[in-house]
Amino acid sequence: MRVSLQGRLMATTAIALCLFLLATGWIWERLFTTSVRASAEEQMLIVAYGLVDATRKDADPAAFRGSYTSEGGEQVPVVGPSILLPDELGEPRLSRPNSGLYAYIETADGTLAWRSPSMTITSVAATPNPRPPPGDSRFRRIESDGIEPRFLLGYTVILEELDDSELTFWVLTDQSPFNAEIREFRRSLVVGVIAATLLLIVLQLGTLLWGLRPLRRMAERVRALHAGQRGDIGEDYPAELAQLAHTMNRFVGHELENRERYRRAMGDLAHSLKTPLAVLKNALVDPGRPDKAVFDDQIDRMEATINRQLSRATAIPPVLPHEPVPVTPLLERLCRALDKAYAGKHVDVEIQAAPVQVRADERDVIDVLGNLLENAYKYSHSKVRISAKREPSSAPRASDRRSTVPNGSEHARTQSDPRQVVRIVVEDDGDGIPEAAKQYVFERGARADTAHSGHGIGLASAVELATAYGGTVELADSALGGAKVILKMPA
Amino acid sequence: MRVLLVEDEMLLRAQVDKYLRDAGFVVDMASNGEKGLYFGLEFDYDVAVIDLGLPKMDGIDLIAELRKQDRVFPILILTARRDWQDKVTGLEAGADDYLTKPFHLEELKARLDALIRRAAGYASPVVEKGPLSLDLGAKEARLHGDTLELTAFEYRVLEYLAMNPGRVISKAELTEHLYEQDFDRDSNVIEVFIGRLRRKLDPDGTLKPIRTIRGAGYRFSL
Repeated sequence: MRVSLQGRLMATTAIALCLFLLATGWIWERLFTTSVRASAEEQMLIVAYGLVDATRKDADPAAFRGSYTSEGGEQVPVVGPSILLPDELGEPRLSRPNSGLYAYIETADGTLAWRSPSMTITSVAATPNPRPPPGDSRFRRIESDGIEPRFLLGYTVILEELDDSELTFWVLTDQSPFNAEIREFRRSLVVGVIAATLLLIVLQLGTLLWGLRPLRRMAERVRALHAGQRGDIGEDYPAELAQLAHTMNRFVGHELENRERYRRAMGDLAHSLKTPLAVLKNALVDPGRPDKAVFDDQIDRMEATINRQLSRATAIPPVLPHEPVPVTPLLERLCRALDKAYAGKHVDVEIQAAPVQVRADERDVIDVLGNLLENAYKYSHSKVRISAKREPSSAPRASDRRSTVPNGSEHARTQSDPRQVVRIVVEDDGDGIPEAAKQYVFERGARADTAHSGHGIGLASAVELATAYGGTVELADSALGGAKVILKMPA
Repeated sequence: MRVLLVEDEMLLRAQVDKYLRDAGFVVDMASNGEKGLYFGLEFDYDVAVIDLGLPKMDGIDLIAELRKQDRVFPILILTARRDWQDKVTGLEAGADDYLTKPFHLEELKARLDALIRRAAGYASPVVEKGPLSLDLGAKEARLHGDTLELTAFEYRVLEYLAMNPGRVISKAELTEHLYEQDFDRDSNVIEVFIGRLRRKLDPDGTLKPIRTIRGAGYRFSL
């Protein structure tokens, strides 16, 4: 089974969230550590400046300047240039033994010239450090086995006061207070990041559940639809799904309508074929010669029935809006074809068509127009007039008694421009449409009159098709003297 | 008149065949498009009836191919559906008229007569040639208004000649258009028929409607 949409979204956002927070945490940690070190360096530089400031020339160059015990335990005498620093230094920790802050001064040749009182035991001598050039300072960490990690800052100056002698001021600090600070920060950071991650995941889950609710609702309704518990999936969806739901409802409605249409058409077909079949059967039972007129009549009746019911069953209203079909080229094509078929009749055809388009399947448009034009050619004396134009719809008229399939027409009308229709008028100078044929065309169940079935069948087909598209067909009397058929189709 | 009938439905083909033969047509039948094309290219017909839904070669393709190969005889298409796309395509491909199934055989014959007449350039079903008038619908010939007593075959010869006025028609052509394919084609029979026709049409020898062109055939002129 495929991973659900919700699963996919959850997984990707959770992964992205974790990566983002990890990266953020790492950057924070780096920034904080760097800033702690920078602040240590700055503090130590201030101590070094203080010492430089306090350094004086010793008046007694031979004075004993004390000694210190090296880590090897031997006493090392402090001998060096005659410099003097006051007993009370600006930084009290320098005076307190083992305070964690230490300082000493070296001459250019590496001789220890002074050390702070805090510095009782130190390995300074054992770890000679490269001295920075005069005027510069150098900061580094000292981290080796067995020694407490420290920061070391060296600052070299040339003091005029001391006969331009070059001195390097070294300041040492234990790293532990700084490291403790960093550790504390890391702990807070981890707790913060985890809390933020959890909070964001919960929020994300909530958003997803809320955001995907319409989809779940739709899925449930589709299931209900399959189970036959619903007739549609409703229309209450957010904008992104509304069109989909609408189209789906239309398909479902269309399907139901089609099923109903077929059922009705087949029922009608079976019913209306029974009578002529019975008549034919009985005519054969008759001991005399079968009456040809009876056969002709019944067969014509059956043909008309089949034609009509097939037209009705196949006149399927469109679910999706059709591409517009230009009418004039179709009219011209049909007229060329009919001119050929009726070449012996010399029908004078006049087409006055604006460049209009009809929203319907092209084959259906050809069928509707073909049926109407064929009647005009067939029943005219010599003149046929065709016009096509666009006009505003007169909607209420569309649902009069001529709409034999009201549901279908309702349905189709919603998909095209409801305000505009294409009005196509086909007129001839014949004798007009007989009343019986009109009845056959517009009244369901009216039987075809043999004499006029030709007129009626084509017209009935056209009416069924046009109605399926939400169009209408009206009959009137033409100024030419014959029939006038007014077809309106959605523009 | 020789008609080519291309129809795959055996029963309908047999019905149409019988009806047209009874009406005096010579009928060649083909049950699919390929056979139809063979006949159409091999023989000269006065009219063809072609069903649109055919096996092997579609009716539309058959019509287009016949027209491409310069066969100009009129063609009537039969279509089972009330499908205008088919009708229009058929007419555009070169057919001259259409008939929708189911149809009455009388209607088919009337359409074929009209097509033959149209091809010969006559607008009316009654062809007037001087004192002679031919009623193509009723298959009757009248001279000065009096109905001529013609046998079916004599009428057919006269009709064929009248449908091709001014043109020299060989005995072979007459035989082909008026006789069944596997019929005995003894040209003396044609001479006998022409002789009888001349006597019936022109008993006093003043009209001379059918002239013999030595070594070529006959020419109808009135």
